[in-house]
Amino acid sequence: MAAIVTVEDVSKIYKLGKTEVHALRGVTLEVHRGEFLAIAGPSGSGKTTLLNLVGCVDTPTGGRVLMEGKDTKALSERELTDLRLHRIGFIFQTFNLVQVLSVFQNVEFPLLLQGGTSRGERRARVSALLEAVGLGEHLRHRPSELSGGQRQRVAVARALVTRPALVLADEPTANLDSQTGETIIDLMRDMNRKDGTTFIFSTHDPKVMAHATALVRIADGRVTSREVASEAAAAGTR
Amino acid sequence: MRSRVGAGGVLLQIAFRNLFASRAKTLIVGGIILFGALLVVVGSSLVDTVDRGMRGSIQGSLAGQLQVYSARSKDDLALYGGMMGESQLEPIEDFASLKRVLESVPNVKSVVPMGIDQAMVATGNEFDVALEKLRADVRRRLGGDRGAETAARYDSHKAHVRRMTALLDQELDQARAIVDDGLIRERAREIEDRKHAVSEVFWAGFDADPLGRLEFLENRIAPQSLSGGFTFIRYAGTDLDAYRGAFDRMRIVEGTAVPTGQRGILIGKLYAEDWLKLKTARRLDKIRDARVLNRKRIATDEELQRWVKENQMQTRDILLQLDPVQARVATERLREALARSAHPPTERLREALGREPASTSDPDQELRALLVELFSTDDANFDERYAIFYRELAPLLQLYMVRVGDTVTIKAPAHSGYMNSVNVKVYGFVEFRGLEKSALAGIMSLMDILSWRDLYGYLTVEKAAELRAIKQSAGARDVSRENAEAELFGAASSAPAVAPETPRASRIEVPALVGAAQRKSDASLFSRVHTQAEIDGGVALNAAVTLRDPSRLRESAREIRAALAAARMDMKVVDWQQASGMVGQFISLARVVLYTAVFIIFAVALVIINNAMVMATLQRVKEIGTIRAIGAQKRFVLGMLLLETSAVGLAFGALGALLGAGVVWLLRVRGGIPATNDQLYFFYSGPSLVPTLGATSLAISLGIVIVVSVLSGLYPALIATRVTPLEAMQSDD
Repeated sequence: MAAIVTVEDVSKIYKLGKTEVHALRGVTLEVHRGEFLAIAGPSGSGKTTLLNLVGCVDTPTGGRVLMEGKDTKALSERELTDLRLHRIGFIFQTFNLVQVLSVFQNVEFPLLLQGGTSRGERRARVSALLEAVGLGEHLRHRPSELSGGQRQRVAVARALVTRPALVLADEPTANLDSQTGETIIDLMRDMNRKDGTTFIFSTHDPKVMAHATALVRIADGRVTSREVASEAAAAGTR
Repeated sequence: MRSRVGAGGVLLQIAFRNLFASRAKTLIVGGIILFGALLVVVGSSLVDTVDRGMRGSIQGSLAGQLQVYSARSKDDLALYGGMMGESQLEPIEDFASLKRVLESVPNVKSVVPMGIDQAMVATGNEFDVALEKLRADVRRRLGGDRGAETAARYDSHKAHVRRMTALLDQELDQARAIVDDGLIRERAREIEDRKHAVSEVFWAGFDADPLGRLEFLENRIAPQSLSGGFTFIRYAGTDLDAYRGAFDRMRIVEGTAVPTGQRGILIGKLYAEDWLKLKTARRLDKIRDARVLNRKRIATDEELQRWVKENQMQTRDILLQLDPVQARVATERLREALARSAHPPTERLREALGREPASTSDPDQELRALLVELFSTDDANFDERYAIFYRELAPLLQLYMVRVGDTVTIKAPAHSGYMNSVNVKVYGFVEFRGLEKSALAGIMSLMDILSWRDLYGYLTVEKAAELRAIKQSAGARDVSRENAEAELFGAASSAPAVAPETPRASRIEVPALVGAAQRKSDASLFSRVHTQAEIDGGVALNAAVTLRDPSRLRESAREIRAALAAARMDMKVVDWQQASGMVGQFISLARVVLYTAVFIIFAVALVIINNAMVMATLQRVKEIGTIRAIGAQKRFVLGMLLLETSAVGLAFGALGALLGAGVVWLLRVRGGIPATNDQLYFFYSGPSLVPTLGATSLAISLGIVIVVSVLSGLYPALIATRVTPLEAMQSDD
């Protein structure tokens, strides 16, 4: 399996006033196509920072991040944005739907930004996805009319609608009860299996980790272990 | 291509739904823009209308589009007078040649000569008027007229003069009580004269020696009467026919135009109201105007109370005007009218009427009491008393000191200090549409330019000839202005004065000569018809130019300047607004005030809208971050926010403009904004301001609104583009 993302000795330093925060201190990691990768670690360990770097939302202070072989540091802001639009899907901890748009419109939005799809094609794709995430009945609803789980399903659909190579999810279950969280992870895993979309998600919930095909543990800005453990895969298929 | 449309569509949707979602903010921002647009539309419509109205009034009454005057003038031309009185203009020596040059410019429609000045009008006193009437009767009788009608008139006028003498004597006796003895001794002869004039003996002998007695009354008694004297009149001496052709705002409200080529004056109606009308009647008018137009009340307004009091105190002017027959008629009419009054006469009057006439020597006592009662007005009875005055009393009175057909004497100081005077016949009263009530601009009277030249001290062709004749007979030498000094001081060595190339007008500087000229019978002067050459061929102070196409004003001014330069004429050319001085500034001032208000409102709006949008942007950081993370470029975010503000601006701006148009329409339907005082009347160029809506002002106001809303949305939109996708990753807390 080819690496979709390569992280090479990446460090990230944030400046908070006069103090420097070393969020990542030399992380090296390879993510392979089709993986359902969990990044686990306590709060402040650098999970989110790593996801941001992989997701082309941020660039590293040191080292390189290669997204499908492209060094993100060499790309312009505009090119990074295009990369996010076409190759990456995002699922946020707080769902982050556009409140004023309907469920359908939220999911359609990235397609509109992309362009190149006809109205009928968009409708077909969006409807099929929403059907798949179990929201076929809620196309016209506004996000505020949905439950947390339903909102996150919309977010999953939105992340997948552009058929990205990679979907990033930063603690997708943190704001959901454990049962709902598990169904969301199941949903993501289904999508991962069906289309072969690579998923990277961060979590500190052992139950969620159990679904992953690979698990990266991170602490104090360093990768402490990478398990492509069969037990992890086994746990995922359980 | 489809994608762009799709992205544009979602942009629109997000923008509009956001606006709808944050209704409060949208309404506040929209409200400010709406108010601004409303103000711009209504304000500019009002100012435009005022501008157009005043432009019409000023251009159409006196200014024309351009004014030409000598560049050697000390002051700037101020058609309506400046702060320091009349502007000192160097005369245009030969108007005819100036006119030729100006008329050579194709866009020039007409050129009207003018000389604007102030003068004094002898308003005469009632005593003189009454004596004049009596003298006419005496003359007729001495001429052999023994008709019954003449006799009756003679008796009536004689009785009137006798009555006036008695009234004057009474009045001055009362005055004597308050002055000291020394003054009384000084005035002893005056008192003696008066006692003589009221004596039975004096009047018994009147028929036998009417001329002698008249002389006594004229020289000894009339001067003691305090009334009469002079009032100031502001007039334009002009070619009256050319004036009428060029200025459409002048309207003759009474009388006729001065016949072509003849001398005469048309007196300003407003001037007549203010200065020539019987004071009592004028005060009644002013009280009525104050009550009707300004909704003032006598009970609460000190000025109105003062006018009422003055009318009660000053019945003398009315009493003096009435001869015994008229006085009797007036007494009867007033007694009856007041008896029928819905507002019963006061105790005071009943007392006065109930009393038996104290003595036959004071037959006016009852009339005086009736007049005092008539003028004892309050808010309840004013309208009734006003009607009684005009219905019953006014027909017996001469309300204006000058009537159509009268000859008035106008005096003006020449530059050397002595007075010139001319007699001119009053042909009518004029009003300037739109300036009817403007004390500044509407009091103008119009006089023929020949009389003005006489008055101002410049020779007319005929007078020059006349003077030459007189001077030859008197052996006087012709002294031109240029060498007058040399002549006077006998500086033999001085260089001989170079005769000017153009004939220069010379001032008449010797009173005796003026007198001689004046003695020429007015009658022949009045009936004489002057040729256009005589009217044009002389001095003027300024020339009003009207244009065929007034919109080409600047261009025409340039052409005129070029033509004048080519003719080597050293003239200034100014536009109507400059020429009208302070009056012209009013429009500019109104515009400045409006624009300042609009500017302030939009500056405030800019700050408020900017603030509101920045706040709104900060609240939406997460949403914007998400959109950016998902893959929206910065320009999408910029477009989204700009679209929001400009949509608000456009929608509410258009609504405000529409409302403004509605307000203007409503004002028009309601008959405009009434002018509640004379200043407003002038400003509105009429009794009310009926605003019109210009398409350009509407477009401009919408333009301003959109520019302001985009400007105020620009900064928040730029802030929004700086939001990074990282913001989307932050958790809510």
